[in-house]
Amino acid sequence: MDDLESEFAAELAKLRGAYLEHLPEELAGIAACASSLSGRESERPLLDELHHRLHKLAGSGSTFGLDDLSREARVLEKQARAWLAGPIERIDPGALAAFVRGTQALAATLRQGESRPAPPLKSEPHAPLGRRIDIWLVEDDALLGREIVRLLDQFGYQTRLFTRLDAAEQAAARERPDILIMDVLFPEEGLNATEAVASRPAFRALDCPILFISAQGDFHSRVRAARLGAEGFLTKPLDVPRLVDRLERMFEERQVTPHRVLIVDDDITLAEHFRLVLRGAGIDVKVITDPEAIIDAVAAFRPELILLDLMMPGYTGPELATVIRQYDDWVGLPIVYLSAETDLDAQIQALGHGADDFLAKPISDAHLVAAVRVRVARARQLDNLMARDSLTGLLKHARIKEEVEIELARARRGGKPMSVAMIDLDHFKSINDTYGHAVGDRVIKAVAHLMRQRLRLSDAIGRYGGEEFIAILPDCDCDTAQAVIEDIRARFAGLRFQHEGEEFACTLSAGLACSTRYPEAKGSDLLISADEALYAAKRGGRNQVCLADGKMPSLGED
Amino acid sequence: MSLLQRILYVDDETGIQSVAKLALEMVGGFTVKLCGSGEEALREAAAFAPDLILLDVMMPGMDGPATLAALREQPALAAIPVVLMTARAQAEDVARYLSLGALDVIAKPFDPMTLASQVRAVWEKHHG
Repeated sequence: MDDLESEFAAELAKLRGAYLEHLPEELAGIAACASSLSGRESERPLLDELHHRLHKLAGSGSTFGLDDLSREARVLEKQARAWLAGPIERIDPGALAAFVRGTQALAATLRQGESRPAPPLKSEPHAPLGRRIDIWLVEDDALLGREIVRLLDQFGYQTRLFTRLDAAEQAAARERPDILIMDVLFPEEGLNATEAVASRPAFRALDCPILFISAQGDFHSRVRAARLGAEGFLTKPLDVPRLVDRLERMFEERQVTPHRVLIVDDDITLAEHFRLVLRGAGIDVKVITDPEAIIDAVAAFRPELILLDLMMPGYTGPELATVIRQYDDWVGLPIVYLSAETDLDAQIQALGHGADDFLAKPISDAHLVAAVRVRVARARQLDNLMARDSLTGLLKHARIKEEVEIELARARRGGKPMSVAMIDLDHFKSINDTYGHAVGDRVIKAVAHLMRQRLRLSDAIGRYGGEEFIAILPDCDCDTAQAVIEDIRARFAGLRFQHEGEEFACTLSAGLACSTRYPEAKGSDLLISADEALYAAKRGGRNQVCLADGKMPSLGED
Repeated sequence: MSLLQRILYVDDETGIQSVAKLALEMVGGFTVKLCGSGEEALREAAAFAPDLILLDVMMPGMDGPATLAALREQPALAAIPVVLMTARAQAEDVARYLSLGALDVIAKPFDPMTLASQVRAVWEKHHG
């Protein structure tokens, strides 16, 4: 299915390209047609034509993911339809002028929408890795500034350096960073950054998170920073891994992967309506109308919540819920019945069969969205608590092993490569012994951040043991995997950690196993092979990445 | 159970036509013929002999419901199941379309990835 899916996505992208190519012409045509209207009955055929063109635009726009354009076209279409229902002479000239302006504005909406990728079937590209986050650093000490930029770069952050406050102010009048990091004191300009941000309009208008860094964490600067709503106040010498930790947390709060909901309902129109409503709220939805497909759908789509119709041909909701609960993996998956059933006894009986709640049809759109959001968020919280390591937020041992099996099976089905990397910190024990566990934890977190930063969202990352990590890289061959992990190794080796004025570095070794070299292997075999490659890297002198040779791991021995 | 193989897709918007054709052929494995209007659909239906007709509701000239009614008047075409596709899948519209003899109603915009399975589901509901 994966192959078909990507081929299909490629074909779809071609169609979208062709559509976008002739769309500006159509928009110009619509605008020209609208501007020739003057409010005479003889123009009825023209208005009728316009109505149809807007209708087509609304429909095709949403089909190709141009939601804003579609929405605007829909509004204009409605207006045209309303006018067609009465005498054309009655059209208010002011409303007509606004309508014409609306048609002219469509082109600008298109230009905005076009720059975004098509939403229906997006696949993540492998390069460039990491997200682009625009950081500005304002630091009058140019040497120090350049060093911070270099260190942030190792974590994959692109940083723009300003050595003067007024240069940053000028830039702020035109552009906006995702985050602003500022030194507090600018003796040469005779300025204090906390005062400048408070008093100058260009800074005040920025509306982005601000982090201050200062040699003296004096009380007044701190208070002023806090009053400005600064995200943080860090003291020099700057501990870059700690700064990155701060950045990661700030961005993580903003980045939320969409909730996934499976709707099982034989009433396709209603299910489709629910899907549209939930999708409108940014929720990923899959609809199935055939109850027998539910197991496959849950396995493939891995929903975080199931909305289940209570009565379907051949099966009842409680029967399906019971079947789902027979699978250990899905014991905790929230199941909510959607039903017109108002009989309390029937509801209670249904709840006895493994479902969590009831939503009564008809249900308002807002209520549906809220009900789904709350339940998925709670399920996610619980799942995170159980599956994620509290220090790094990475997946725990058991879960990552599961992921390997799942991703390997998926890769085999789709005929695609998949790689597993086992990563271990070098001489980590001596860091713990020398600097203490708190510092050791910071090193662990730094690796975790670096991996998250450099890998794709579709890659699963886990903490396998104390200082051992696993990365699962779907759709990634040996060469790409080696380049990606090598990049992480080199960046990590370049990091300098601070502890009580002392600076130290740490390195990592990694072993890689790629599924294409092990056509017969199970997930556990891949893990063992990656582990063997890791030990080869250790034996080879550490601070390096080794690729497993393709020989099946020796079984039964240890 | 009769098999769903040939689908006549009727829509005046060529962009949506092409996505629907791709989705139904590539994902669903159906044989698809496209028509740009109700009038064209009436001319082509007999020769193509579709198992199912997917009909856009709002088209210039003969709209979906009018095309459906015209199909029902021709003995050779009257038995072909028709599914209407509409952007405004409001409850009262759906009821009216069903009363006109439509097999079912599919909301637009459709998801290209699942259109074929939606159509198959409608078919199986009525022919399963």
